[in-house]
Amino acid sequence: MVIAAISGSLALWVMDLILVASLLLLGGLLKGILGAAKSIVPRIDAIDGVAKAGSKDLDAVVLLLTTQNYISQIIGSVANYGGSLDVALPDKAD
Amino acid sequence: MSLALAVMILMIALIIAALAIYLIATIGELIKINQGLASVLNSVGEIVAKSAPVNGVVDAINGNLVAGRNLLENLFIKKAGSDTAGLVESLFPGEGAKWNQRVGKNYPVVNTGIVYTRGTQILASLGRGAPIGAAHAKGPAVRDPKYATTAAAMLYPASGRQPQRPGEVSGRRQGLAACVRGRRHAWRAAA
Repeated sequence: MVIAAISGSLALWVMDLILVASLLLLGGLLKGILGAAKSIVPRIDAIDGVAKAGSKDLDAVVLLLTTQNYISQIIGSVANYGGSLDVALPDKAD
Repeated sequence: MSLALAVMILMIALIIAALAIYLIATIGELIKINQGLASVLNSVGEIVAKSAPVNGVVDAINGNLVAGRNLLENLFIKKAGSDTAGLVESLFPGEGAKWNQRVGKNYPVVNTGIVYTRGTQILASLGRGAPIGAAHAKGPAVRDPKYATTAAAMLYPASGRQPQRPGEVSGRRQGLAACVRGRRHAWRAAA
């Protein structure tokens, strides 16, 4: 009877030790997870800033339509000029 | 209740408390991450929307420029023929060979800009027969660049007239100078 009581109490103490170890291990792991989650937030904020700046920079893309129009006009002028040169200058006889 | 049992209950309570504290904090950080990603997603969506027409516009610009380049290159070849590579080389050193490669020709790559002035090149392109391309780019200059005008005149000498040497004053200019000097003396005498 006494031996059984002692062995039961020993088992409880062993269980307590296991729980303490589990608490330390679990605490460490959860702390790591929380630290990793906290480190993501500033990086997301930085990416957000860069993406907003990139989006603002792309506002000038609309000007490409004007550039396209100008280039089309310039190429037309060059074609006219080339046609005039073709008439004005004699061909090279190689 | 035995002490061991009490310690066990305490440990279990501590474990549950640790789990709750850390998981709640982690959930808070995940919520912040979610909000940040939503903001990033909006910005990225704007970037995608703004950059969507770029391909078409750039392709159109490129097509126009290629058409213009082809037009001018063909006109250049038509008008300058075998001198094209040399002219390109003289304007953009090192580009003459690339020009030949691009147009699929084997024109002589002579840096005509070293040897001739632009006026001489124009005269040659008009068929006046200047020997552009006769010399190699690494060879000595065919004409003296210090006295370019005289050298150009020597390329096209008028019949029965000797080209004027540098520093030499012609008889007509000497007569004009004497006339001016005489008038100055007359004005001073009158004053």
